[in-house]
Amino acid sequence: MTPRNTDSGGPQQDDERWDRRRAREAFAKFSHARVALERGDADDGTHERLREELVVAHLNLVRFLAVKFANRGEALDDLIQVGTVGLLKAIDRFDLERGVEFTTYATPTIVGEIKRYFRDKGWAVKVPRRLQELNLSVNRAVERLTTKLGRSPTVTELSEHLGATQEDILEAQELGQAYNLLSLDTEVAGEGDKKAHTLADYVGQDDPGLEMLEDRANLERAFAVLSRRERIILFLRFYESVSQTEIAKRLNVSQMHVSRLQQKALEKLREVMQER
Amino acid sequence: MADATRDVVELQIPAKAEWVAVARLAVAAVANRLDFSVEDIEDIRLALAEACTSVIRHAGEGDPIRIRCEAGPDELSVTVGGGSSVRLQGDVRSEDGLGLIIIQSLMDTIEYRAEPSGIVLQMAKRVEKR
Repeated sequence: MTPRNTDSGGPQQDDERWDRRRAREAFAKFSHARVALERGDADDGTHERLREELVVAHLNLVRFLAVKFANRGEALDDLIQVGTVGLLKAIDRFDLERGVEFTTYATPTIVGEIKRYFRDKGWAVKVPRRLQELNLSVNRAVERLTTKLGRSPTVTELSEHLGATQEDILEAQELGQAYNLLSLDTEVAGEGDKKAHTLADYVGQDDPGLEMLEDRANLERAFAVLSRRERIILFLRFYESVSQTEIAKRLNVSQMHVSRLQQKALEKLREVMQER
Repeated sequence: MADATRDVVELQIPAKAEWVAVARLAVAAVANRLDFSVEDIEDIRLALAEACTSVIRHAGEGDPIRIRCEAGPDELSVTVGGGSSVRLQGDVRSEDGLGLIIIQSLMDTIEYRAEPSGIVLQMAKRVEKR
């Protein structure tokens, strides 16, 4: 393959300032300087300066490639940085005699370096989790927007609400479940005698600010309609994460009864919340 | 290449950039049915986008892009072709240089050829044994 970067999406490598001819000349000078150094000539800094020039001239290639990996959840600047490491390696190893264009030679090296970065970051482990978190956020947003709009929301509306791309949302819905994951109810060890948390406790809320405060205030008002016993059950169950069986023991009633009371209390709350 | 052990999924999209996301999703879903890692799926998705971009560059207004996935037990092969009104001039390969090299760095194999019906880009990736 003898690529030419004339495609519109490609880096503007062959503008007047830095065309292929100049790149070849620069590499010729660079390899000349390297040979001189290896021969034992005094280092007047030429080699380093030429190397620097070559790096600068090809930074747009690194950027062009890094952008293609930017949707994987790592900062673009970091990708450009590791890509530049790849560029440096390619510059040092490039051999004009081989007759390939430098961009052809450097691209796999730069891509390889970026991919290595993802592997080192344990990225493959984080992605399914990110998708599953998005999957939860999507489910929550669907509920919220359905209530707000009085109809089922579109993916475009979801994407605006969550600040995620439409593709990500569709994928979170389709594939979020398919990946082999830890259950969100898996208990994460608590410290000392503190109770264990589940993974779900660590999942971010999509709009933790005002809306939640508002919900909370409404919920507190709604609590007024509950009986004392209902309040105790909900408090123990949802604030203290006490099991129904344990609550039943404390209140000296059957677990079935606790379940029914909890159900009824939640229904009351739902009614009051929907009236607002 | 009819092979009983390979399931075939075909998709045709308009040769317009805004449809590429649909193809990316579909092919990612196919790849997910094989035992690919998330990283591999993401690579396949990027390779597919590059392939579609290549074809779009050669396609005329209203041309379709045909995408054919063949899912074997341990390999996914994706063929992207299109541009019924493609006018091929000179060396088609040179036009798509970087995109093809990117695909090459992501997939195990890649073939690129010009046919009377348009350009055809065939790429494949094997599932790594874990």
